[in-house]
Amino acid sequence: MKRDLLIAFRRSATYITPLIFFLIVITFFPLALGPEQKLLSSLAPGIIWIAALLASLLAVETIFNEDFRDGTLDSFFISLEPTFILVFVKVFIHWLITGLPLLLASCVAALVLYLPFDSVSAMILSLILGTFFMSLLGALGAALSLGKSAILSAVIVLPFSIPTLLMGTSVIASAINNQDYTGFLMIMGGMLAIGIPAICLLTVEALLLSYD
Amino acid sequence: MGSPPLFYRWSSKALVWLGVSSIIILSLGLFMGIGLSPADYKQGDVYRIIYIHVPSAIMGESIFIFMALCGFINIIWRAKISGMLIKAAAPIGMSFVLLVLTTGSIWGKPTWGTWWVWDARLTSTLILFFIYAALIGLHSTIEDKIKADRAVSILAIVGVAIIPVIKKSVDWWQTLHQPSTFKLTSAPSMSPEMYQPLLICVIGFYLVFAFILTLNLRNEILERESSKKWVKEVIGNQS
Repeated sequence: MKRDLLIAFRRSATYITPLIFFLIVITFFPLALGPEQKLLSSLAPGIIWIAALLASLLAVETIFNEDFRDGTLDSFFISLEPTFILVFVKVFIHWLITGLPLLLASCVAALVLYLPFDSVSAMILSLILGTFFMSLLGALGAALSLGKSAILSAVIVLPFSIPTLLMGTSVIASAINNQDYTGFLMIMGGMLAIGIPAICLLTVEALLLSYD
Repeated sequence: MGSPPLFYRWSSKALVWLGVSSIIILSLGLFMGIGLSPADYKQGDVYRIIYIHVPSAIMGESIFIFMALCGFINIIWRAKISGMLIKAAAPIGMSFVLLVLTTGSIWGKPTWGTWWVWDARLTSTLILFFIYAALIGLHSTIEDKIKADRAVSILAIVGVAIIPVIKKSVDWWQTLHQPSTFKLTSAPSMSPEMYQPLLICVIGFYLVFAFILTLNLRNEILERESSKKWVKEVIGNQS
């Protein structure tokens, strides 16, 4: 745990790169669609969510690769702690490093995409839940395609991230319309509640595949 | 049945039965449906594509549930044949989902006025198509077949969550696609002359699936066990 945090802080690329990727993707939309305020404002929840989805997915691509190569992953399976807890901790720390800066960047994105100011808090809440779920899914994808191409991992994970995308954009959209958005947040929380144990267990299974 | 050489020998006989019965029943269903059943009062004759569209939909979903079950058996009991079944069934399932989407598009243009709409059922079926593609892609990139089977088993188990979403999508959301005709608790909302051929077509499609699955599985067994003596004998006998 501490080791991961130390390594990540020393290599600032780990947490800066997803941030920059997110901002670049956000920038592409006004460039591609035109800078008209009304258009961008109406599309802003979707654009921010798609950029966050892609950024958090690509950030976890290499979460297991280095550990696999230098043998640290073996110690996961030998240790006394249940492996899926170790996997969860690893994903959580990774998300703290890569996902939280994303939240700050999303405020910048909200500004440049003319997202109404009142819905920013809803956006942040939805992104907290959503990016963590994406990190979990991305970890499963990374484990399944350990050592192979990243785009395969993306193809595996993206269809399953569609519910998160739908719920997340609904949160922001209902906040814009001044409707109650807590229902959607509950659903996302529920997906996390079921997803955390289930996905961590499946990720352990997937990692074990590379060991026989 | 779990032993590859035994299955191979048994399946040669099963293939003949499956092939003949699938041709007979499917032709009967399609003839009764497309030829004999009465025209719909609103849609006219266009609705007859239902005799391909609905069975394909049922197959696409059932095959995925089948793969998830095989995946479960493969992970827990490590039965080799259940892993091979997933690989054999996946392309068939994906073809059926592609068939649903295209026949649905063709049906939608004259009746709804559009080739596509992003409603819950169509979108979730499209997601099913992507999950099938991801599964087949994952299996083909892993060199070791046993490991590939297990990776794909995990993916199948996770992916089966989309099936209830598809089935219930017309109840949970406001969709352009009509609600289900066949319900567990009440009589179908179609007239008997229309839904009887439909049921026969569904059975026919299941038989076609079983036939193609057996063919695929036989190929898969021959390919994987190609170093064994019994395979060399079989190939030797045939050439």
